[in-house]
Amino acid sequence: MVRKIFFCILIILSVAMTAYGAFFRRLLVYDNLEKFDQLKNVGITIKIPGYQQADTEFKAQSEWFTEPEVVNAMTFAGISRYKDGQLISNYPDLRMLKGRRPCPS
Amino acid sequence: MERLRLKVQIAMAVLMNVGLFQLHFICMPVLNCHSCPVSLFGCPLGVIGQFSAVGLIPLTVIGVMALVGLVAGRILCGWVCPFGLVQELLYKIPYAKFSIPRWTRFIKYGVFGALVVAVPYFLTPESTLYFCRLCPVATIESSIPWAILQGTTNALHLSVRIVILIVIMILAMGHRRFFCKVLCPIGACMSLLNRFAAIFPERRSLCVDCSTCNKVCPMETVPNKNRFGVYDDMLEECINCLDCQKRCPTDAIRLWG
Repeated sequence: MVRKIFFCILIILSVAMTAYGAFFRRLLVYDNLEKFDQLKNVGITIKIPGYQQADTEFKAQSEWFTEPEVVNAMTFAGISRYKDGQLISNYPDLRMLKGRRPCPS
Repeated sequence: MERLRLKVQIAMAVLMNVGLFQLHFICMPVLNCHSCPVSLFGCPLGVIGQFSAVGLIPLTVIGVMALVGLVAGRILCGWVCPFGLVQELLYKIPYAKFSIPRWTRFIKYGVFGALVVAVPYFLTPESTLYFCRLCPVATIESSIPWAILQGTTNALHLSVRIVILIVIMILAMGHRRFFCKVLCPIGACMSLLNRFAAIFPERRSLCVDCSTCNKVCPMETVPNKNRFGVYDDMLEECINCLDCQKRCPTDAIRLWG
């Protein structure tokens, strides 16, 4: 009986976790302008919307990712934590995080 | 049953590495590296490690693992995991067989806590002790294929990984499912839920204590009548292979707890 009560509690928790993570959780991710500059300096150009303007101060683009998208990005080490706690792409453009094939570990 | 299970294991190993689709946003709770060029699903350990490195909890991954574990315990270890299949085939090779102490099964919980969660969280994934960088499955499915396809920049690291892989394979030749019992972090996670699982072999009153189930069990467990609260029978190691049910002379083992 005790086992069945534990079973019911745990299964409700796991369904709730899965449903919340899959359908409701959103994570804000920024693109990596430092990586963009590094690539630009060696002659590789990647177009990032809003970044080709003639401004001197650039702002990183941000986008809300669903948790499955973040899980997918994590399979190729696509996201890391920045110094102030925000999530930042390991690639210059956030679009590179979606539907990308994995890198070797 | 053993033949059926072998067929299912081979079919699942092919299916998960067929290379036609990539559904890496889904983590199948088996050891199958998502860095493999042809892998279908994501590996929960890699994702948990990466989430840990950025200070997040992967709710879907933990939720899916918990759901699978609560419904059928470690059934995926027994019927789906490609590395489980590799180990079972290795054990069929004639080689000096040996037993291991019972306490060694607790090592895998330490491996999960330390190498999958703590090291990425505190030292970031750049640490060479990060589990994925030592994982034998990643060596087979990812490091070696990518080294062949693209070459490697870190021959020393690749060599260390191959040595670890060879050692584990030798140990798996001598002891059935050595890695699953002693080192597998996914096995550790799923083991925690085995005592609550709905589908689980249990003994009925027809049992005559012949110990046939214990002898055929690849994980050296004993189906028990009272699962919850009994901690000295290694029930958490059961992989639902159903060999015990098939071999039981009195048909005393039922599947639904």
